[in-house]
Amino acid sequence: MVALATVLAASLQHVALAYSALLVAVALSVPLAVLSLSSRTLASVVMTGANLAQAVPSLAIVAFVVPLLGIGFYPALIVLVLRALLPVVKNTWIGLSNVDPGIIDAAVGIGLTNREITWRIRFPLAYPAFFAGVRFAAILTNSVAVLTALIGSGGLGNLIFEGIAGTNTQTLLAGALPAILIAVLVDAGLAALERRVVYEGA
Amino acid sequence: MTDGGMLELWQDYHLTARTVEHLAMFSVALLLSMIIGFAVGVFLSRRRRFAGVSFAALNTLETFPDLALLVVLIPLLGIGAVPTIAACVLYSVLPIARNTYTGLTSVSAGHVNAAESIGLTEGEVLVHIRVPLALPMLAGGVRIAVVFTMGIVTLGGLVGAGGLGVPLQTGIFNNMPDLILLSGAWVGLLAVLFDGVAAVVERRLTRRYGQW
Repeated sequence: MVALATVLAASLQHVALAYSALLVAVALSVPLAVLSLSSRTLASVVMTGANLAQAVPSLAIVAFVVPLLGIGFYPALIVLVLRALLPVVKNTWIGLSNVDPGIIDAAVGIGLTNREITWRIRFPLAYPAFFAGVRFAAILTNSVAVLTALIGSGGLGNLIFEGIAGTNTQTLLAGALPAILIAVLVDAGLAALERRVVYEGA
Repeated sequence: MTDGGMLELWQDYHLTARTVEHLAMFSVALLLSMIIGFAVGVFLSRRRRFAGVSFAALNTLETFPDLALLVVLIPLLGIGAVPTIAACVLYSVLPIARNTYTGLTSVSAGHVNAAESIGLTEGEVLVHIRVPLALPMLAGGVRIAVVFTMGIVTLGGLVGAGGLGVPLQTGIFNNMPDLILLSGAWVGLLAVLFDGVAAVVERRLTRRYGQW
């Protein structure tokens, strides 16, 4: 049996890694999406990056970072932020830019400034797309955080890899089950948050 | 580091054979995902009361970390290509099924009514009206599946499935930046390439069957 304390410590490390990366990614992607609204060049650079980042397998991204940044917790964090950043930016930008022009005209007509339009019209209407991006990114960071154990980030991935190496099903499950549980809980939490915010905003 | 060095690495780590293994698993997994995903999508679009609960189940499945899903399958299916392909399929059925369902059910009622009024059966409406109009959505699901499948096949190297995950893993464990870059870049390139192929096939099909 794997000691409960070990599993708890690994879970905490996993959560800290995966979801601090998600927070950083969201904090970076909202301003980036707003900037992309006003600059076509930035928008096309960001969207191309987003498509590429989704096309390259996670394991390859994890592997790429070793020669560049070395191993450990912070290189893993950077991998995760990059992996989560682009889907969130892309979805947020799609949501912000696909607002019915009639609504924007109406907002301009009643004298709202550009900034007011962005925050009070575009953002509330973009919430569904934004949340779809964040939920996708949350699932992604959770699963990539398992992989980054390969480059020494610690967390539940350690138990899983230990289990694979020793063909020890119990160790393996001690790592896998909490990871699954965390993902399901976070996804449910984000879904609940989305319902509240979207109903209030819409 | 010279090109000769990379070529040597390519030969030393049997990258040609690894690529063949990789693409074999990739094709089988993608084909299975497409068959199952389209079938589930079509079924749910015709029996919509099952759609809510089915998609909730598939969404939950999607929240599993891919590596965790892969290793959970090991006690059931052993190690190697079989659990890898199973994990790919479990992951890729959702995007294909959801896009198929959304595409087929969002065809305008006007088109469907017109087709029914000239006497087409439900099956004919599906084949001649709904599928052609939903082609971009169907292709979108397949493109997501292409990317997922490529990524999970790479992970399969960690559980003894062979493929390009093996040299990548060797590079990580033995701290060999050249090997990591070579095999990592090659997998990334393959993913982008197949995504591009899917995009081209989509455009061809849409031009031929999708426009009215």
